[in-house]
Amino acid sequence: MLERTVTIRNPLGMHARAAARFVHAAGAFQARVTVTRADRGDRRVDGKSILGLLLLAAARGAVLQITAEGADEGEALGALCRLVEAGFGEEP
Amino acid sequence: MTRIPGLPVSPGVAWGPAALMLQRHPTMRYGIPAADVDREIGRLDQAREVSATQLRAIRARVAQRAGADLASLFEAQVLMLDDALLVPRARRIVESDRVNAEWALDRAFDEFCAVFAEVGDDYLRERRGDVADVVGRLRRNLLPASAGGVRVLAGLAAPAVLVADDLAPSFAAQLDPSMILGLALETGSRTHHSAILARSLGIPAVAGAPAVTAQIRPGTTVLVDGDAGEVVIDPAQDVVDQARSRRARRVASAGSAPASAPGPVTTADGVAVRFLANIERIDEIDAARAAGAEGIGLFRSEFLLAGRAVEAFDEEAQYRVYRDVVERMAPHPVAIRTFDVDEAQIAGGGPGEPDDGARAREAGLSRGPLGLRAIRLSLGHRAAFETQLRALARAGRHGAMRMLLPLVSSVDELREARAALRSATRDVGGSGPRTPAMPVGIMIEVPSAALTVDLLAAEADFFSIGTNDLIQYCLAVDRTDGRVAGLFDPLHPAILRVIRDIIRLARPSGREVALCGEMAADPGALVLLLGLGVTEFSMSPAAIPEARELVRQVTMREARRTAVRAVSRPTSTDIAALLAARFPALASWPAGRDGRPHMEGPS
Repeated sequence: MLERTVTIRNPLGMHARAAARFVHAAGAFQARVTVTRADRGDRRVDGKSILGLLLLAAARGAVLQITAEGADEGEALGALCRLVEAGFGEEP
Repeated sequence: MTRIPGLPVSPGVAWGPAALMLQRHPTMRYGIPAADVDREIGRLDQAREVSATQLRAIRARVAQRAGADLASLFEAQVLMLDDALLVPRARRIVESDRVNAEWALDRAFDEFCAVFAEVGDDYLRERRGDVADVVGRLRRNLLPASAGGVRVLAGLAAPAVLVADDLAPSFAAQLDPSMILGLALETGSRTHHSAILARSLGIPAVAGAPAVTAQIRPGTTVLVDGDAGEVVIDPAQDVVDQARSRRARRVASAGSAPASAPGPVTTADGVAVRFLANIERIDEIDAARAAGAEGIGLFRSEFLLAGRAVEAFDEEAQYRVYRDVVERMAPHPVAIRTFDVDEAQIAGGGPGEPDDGARAREAGLSRGPLGLRAIRLSLGHRAAFETQLRALARAGRHGAMRMLLPLVSSVDELREARAALRSATRDVGGSGPRTPAMPVGIMIEVPSAALTVDLLAAEADFFSIGTNDLIQYCLAVDRTDGRVAGLFDPLHPAILRVIRDIIRLARPSGREVALCGEMAADPGALVLLLGLGVTEFSMSPAAIPEARELVRQVTMREARRTAVRAVSRPTSTDIAALLAARFPALASWPAGRDGRPHMEGPS
């Protein structure tokens, strides 16, 4: 199991469309992906559930802890962290 | 146990498992037996399928018109549909809690919202709206397209008490009394059409019970006390026991009613009073006869339309219904009121559908109490009126049929309608030396008619005071608007005076004046109406036995004295106090059937 923390950078945070992109990205891998707020550490949600991700209420500046577990865990974790750090591909 | 006060709009008491219906976002909530779990899960899955297809189509359209960025919002919604927290969660709730698909979906959404409510960020909290959008789509797709809640009600496995925020009359008309034990409504009043229908169906009902829908949980039992005007959530055993013995007494007395020789009943001092029935469906005739009705004083023909356009109900179909009513009620008279609807309803909107206002306005159709409706509409839409008149003229040969015109406001309208009837009667070959012309009466509901009863008496054969509309027009109160419905006051001195004057103006002509509003179902009002000179009443069959009993116990002498004083009291509160002082037994009416005190005021 691999694990990394990453900070939300885009102004609107992880809203519905951003979460959708995350789910799509996570869905491309076999690895089980879970996400929690490293700065709050309360709830751990399925990284392939859009409603779960919305429940994290990750606004700009929130720190996410992403874990991946499975054959392609390294690739999965890398791709997901890049997506978050790139602000989900949105205009800054 | 929680007690919620409301208005008693249909007598009787009933209790049972609650079935919840929310018309504002149409949802039915009820428990299901284990055997139906698969069916409800199937409905959820089907709604998910339909919703996914719709959302993909929307996404494609938006992508074309507004670009991929906005379209991705609907991609997010497709993901939400498939999310484990939504439809799969609802599926598990159906299995574990044995509730129908709608209820399970609402619960899953509530769980999500409960967590989301803690979110501090405004922008993110607004994302709840996206989820609500998806849930709303699922809800709509769970419901059959046109039938609204009715088809869903058909899924009820066991009889239940229907708890609803609002109930459209077209829906109420289709309730099955063997499945719906009672009604608890947040809105409405005694004179709302749904309340009238509940009485005609013999379903105990309470209206105006605030926030009652919010009290319903899986397995909630609800008791509806349509006599006292109270809804009890999860009633204690002794409350149910009391209700059971009250119902047993009621059934016993209803069973004995036909034996008490239906026919003219007289006041304690020997004045004859007639009771006829108001009905809207043919299967109410048995109840009317059993209650001792001496005829049908008001057959509300518009309920035959049941939401269909008038063209769908042709002359032959109408003729069969009218003939059936008049034959089954023989030898008693039957007054058929011509369609009392507005333009939107005759186009198929159904009487009082909650959401047809906007549609009607879009189509430029007239609505509302001051618009093109009732006799005005009949005289304007000649073809539909002539169809109805031909059907009435043909049916009139089979018994004591009378025709009643709603909302007449001038002699001109009466003349025009009579001319149309003469012509329709000639068309069907119904007139001749042997066949007497069908009596034509008018409803007195508009102040202009009330003030000119003596002029109308020259051309009308009889009168029927429609108190519901008369009160609405005299007091300028829209009784469907909850904010002013409290001003709808049958004991307003103006109402007592206008009824007194109608009787006075009609007297020289000898024309009979009946009263067919729901006002007479109130014991205090009934005493005053007797005192004002009304001796013929038409009311829902369920209300007749108690009204007859009340009449037997009062003297006309005392009723007159009270009425004479009442019309000079300044407010309805004063009038109610006067009644309470002179007829103390009214306060507990109709409780205590056995050994009831003799109904007599001080003389």
